[in-house]
Amino acid sequence: MKTLYWIVLASVLTLWGCAPQITKHEFAPKMYDQHPVSILILPPQNKSTAADAKEYYSTTIAEPLTNCGYYVYPTEVVNDVLKQEGLFDTETMLNVPPQKFKEFFGADAVMYVTILEWNTQYLILSGSVTVKIASELKSTTTGDVLWFYDDVVSVNTSGDSGGAGGLAGLLAKAVTTAIKTAATQYVPVARDVNTKILIALPYGKYHPKFNQDAQTMIEKKKKAEKNK
Amino acid sequence: MNIKNLFYLFSLVFLIGCAPQPLFYWGDYSSSLYDYKKSPDEKTLAAHEKSLLDIIVTSPKKHLHVPPGIYAEYGYLLINDGKENEGLEYFDKEIVLYPESKVFVQRLKDELARGKK
Repeated sequence: MKTLYWIVLASVLTLWGCAPQITKHEFAPKMYDQHPVSILILPPQNKSTAADAKEYYSTTIAEPLTNCGYYVYPTEVVNDVLKQEGLFDTETMLNVPPQKFKEFFGADAVMYVTILEWNTQYLILSGSVTVKIASELKSTTTGDVLWFYDDVVSVNTSGDSGGAGGLAGLLAKAVTTAIKTAATQYVPVARDVNTKILIALPYGKYHPKFNQDAQTMIEKKKKAEKNK
Repeated sequence: MNIKNLFYLFSLVFLIGCAPQPLFYWGDYSSSLYDYKKSPDEKTLAAHEKSLLDIIVTSPKKHLHVPPGIYAEYGYLLINDGKENEGLEYFDKEIVLYPESKVFVQRLKDELARGKK
């Protein structure tokens, strides 16, 4: 019986962590009032130092969002249409009232993504890739913020190959680390961040658990600082 | 039920809870799109088109719907390749499967018509 106790206790700790918890409904009541079906993802706003982060991030978000049960407009085609309308940079798009995207695309909600961090740290014997993302959904009917969330994932890319000792071994290891870090694309890390963020999003119409997750507990977040 | 069984059951429930069955099959979509964005040329574009077609062909075999936006994106690429009629057919498939795409797809059609004038 004692073992069971520990298992339960450990599980509860794992699931809850130390962060404050809240139900999805309490966190994002407007999502349950409005039930947006279709989401238009705008090109992300890049606050990181990596110039290419924007392009690469946008290849990762449509898939998980559809798996949450939403209709997601094909981002590549959307970008072309926006360009044809003269909207080239994200900063300009931020000034377009969300309602316009209803008119243009028929979207129920717009997703604004901010890339807060997208960087690699090289140390002699280890390296890491960090991606931090904040997302926000706005209604195209009322213009209100329906939901927001953010998270960060850092992946260690140390060359952990063991092998020869001594200076030669150490050098070899340093080289492996650099190569591995360079080769580790950000994309898998960005995918992990998406998973962590979208866990907090209420399910959409196409998901079997649509409208049944109001009482699901998630970690309570404050709105991320966008101007870090 | 002994503790060991309970543990297995719990682990199973935990795993299922964390990794739900995806609603859609996306094949190589994000990696082929990534490659295309990294070095946009005919070869990477063709590879991305191929992964779109794979999603269209494979989804029904897995008893899944084609994911949102895939028909529209594939049709768009076909039209850019000059295969207009075929492309338009895919546009219509998008609307039939996802009626909420109508305004968007109509916009694409209008632009195509406008380009021809």
